[in-house]
Amino acid sequence: MIIARAPLRISFVGGGTDLPDFYRRYPGRVISATIDKFIYVLVNYIPHTKKVIVKYRVTESVDHPWQLEHTRVKTALSNLGIERDIEIGSFADISAKAGLGSSSSFSVALLKGFNAFLGKNLNKQEVAEAACRLEIELLKEPIGKQDQYASAFGGFNIFQFNLDDSVEFKPVLLSYNKKKSLEAHSLLFFTGVIRDASSVLSEQKNNIQDKFDVLKQMADSVFEFEKYLLDGDFENAGKMLDEGWQRKKSLASKISNNIFDSLYMTGLENGAWGGKILGAGGGGCLFFMVPPQKREGVKEAVINLARKGNMIGFEELPFKFTECGVDIVYRDDR
Amino acid sequence: MFIAMTVDMEKYITNFFNEINNHLKLVSPVEIAKGLKILEATYERDGRIYVIGNGGSLAIARHFVGDLNKTVFSHHLDEKIKRFQAVALPTTDSELTAWANDIGYDMVFAGPLKNYIQETDTLVAISTSGNSPNIIKAVKVAKEFGIPVIALTGFDGGELLPLADAKIFVSTEKGKYEIVESIHEIICHLITKYFQELISNRV
Repeated sequence: MIIARAPLRISFVGGGTDLPDFYRRYPGRVISATIDKFIYVLVNYIPHTKKVIVKYRVTESVDHPWQLEHTRVKTALSNLGIERDIEIGSFADISAKAGLGSSSSFSVALLKGFNAFLGKNLNKQEVAEAACRLEIELLKEPIGKQDQYASAFGGFNIFQFNLDDSVEFKPVLLSYNKKKSLEAHSLLFFTGVIRDASSVLSEQKNNIQDKFDVLKQMADSVFEFEKYLLDGDFENAGKMLDEGWQRKKSLASKISNNIFDSLYMTGLENGAWGGKILGAGGGGCLFFMVPPQKREGVKEAVINLARKGNMIGFEELPFKFTECGVDIVYRDDR
Repeated sequence: MFIAMTVDMEKYITNFFNEINNHLKLVSPVEIAKGLKILEATYERDGRIYVIGNGGSLAIARHFVGDLNKTVFSHHLDEKIKRFQAVALPTTDSELTAWANDIGYDMVFAGPLKNYIQETDTLVAISTSGNSPNIIKAVKVAKEFGIPVIALTGFDGGELLPLADAKIFVSTEKGKYEIVESIHEIICHLITKYFQELISNRV
């Protein structure tokens, strides 16, 4: 039995610049941090069964990987040449499609686990590359690369997506007290609305040509955001998020609908400096940066409005930032 | 004459302090910060931290294990709080002499490391020259398992420096053991202090 886990992430600035239509013209950059919510993938060797068993919302038990309905597991197994005698299960600290990069975290944990199963020890870079290859090349998902890297590496990082498809990273070395202070200045809500990143992102992809300058501005502002974090200047960091979110809103019509706009505006009216909808938009999580003394006020106002709007699953999602990325947390064959 | 002698000794002492200071200033804060991040991630996933060294570095290694395991938590010893799992290798003198006598001195760390190592762990390797064969052997075991390596070295960094994920390096001319070891001790205390405050902040 092997258990691999990979963290979810909060993406601050630069989302969308990790798509090839952008970074093949100008280096894309994102700044993000992982949080203490994980996706777990269990991989078990079951030689007596001759089966491939996958347990998620449903349980699939088949003779060959190509018979699986879970496309991601199917493709990963086929690509790695794993034919049978394997059981795979997944667990998550938070519901999928929350806008915290969970689908890429799943791929990252899955590939770390599968490779460990084959006796191969992939480092963080290799896992991130393998997850990108699975999702973008093999599954043709119209997504970027930031989530795979954020989840594999863990902690606060800036990733740069170069024109030649290579990815560079730079850790943002925040001390524990800055991290703790950032947590006190952060407010995260799960909206209860789930969405498929692909639908919004395809639209975003189509518009990329027109929006090049907007994305370029976002890619360039990543180091400024880093500086605000390192200085503990969360007010200006929050205001940058606001600018970024406004700019991103102009990218695709589906990114924000009226209720999210209202929730966001309510947050700002009650004292938040800025924020953003996490993920590709249309649902997921809502993130604010707030002065700690206004935190409760913002929380109450936003939750009240969500209740009025009948958003049943809307709730605060308390979290802490983490340093660890993808890990094998257990194996009985070491 | 009495005063002159004092001044002469003072100069000797001041020179030593200055030499320490000058070398201390050249240690990369970024590499120490990387080391702190690696240790924090190891703590988060409840992995073990192995600390190894020879001679003076062994004394520093043992001291550091004690500081990570106890000093970091000394204000919270009665509370239910996850602690570091720092491990001095080998854990017994009998293993040390068994590996050295039966297999070879270069296996005294790599051999016992294999008893414990898991992919959630971290290795802290302290070697002033960066060339001790038994340290390099253990680092290679760590690399095989894909676990992070934090190196504390001196002189020109030796073979150890390029192998490490966090390269804590006190650059000196060869033979300046007293400078390198003193600064290594300071850095271990810095790390201890950092986590002591981090833990107090979490509680």
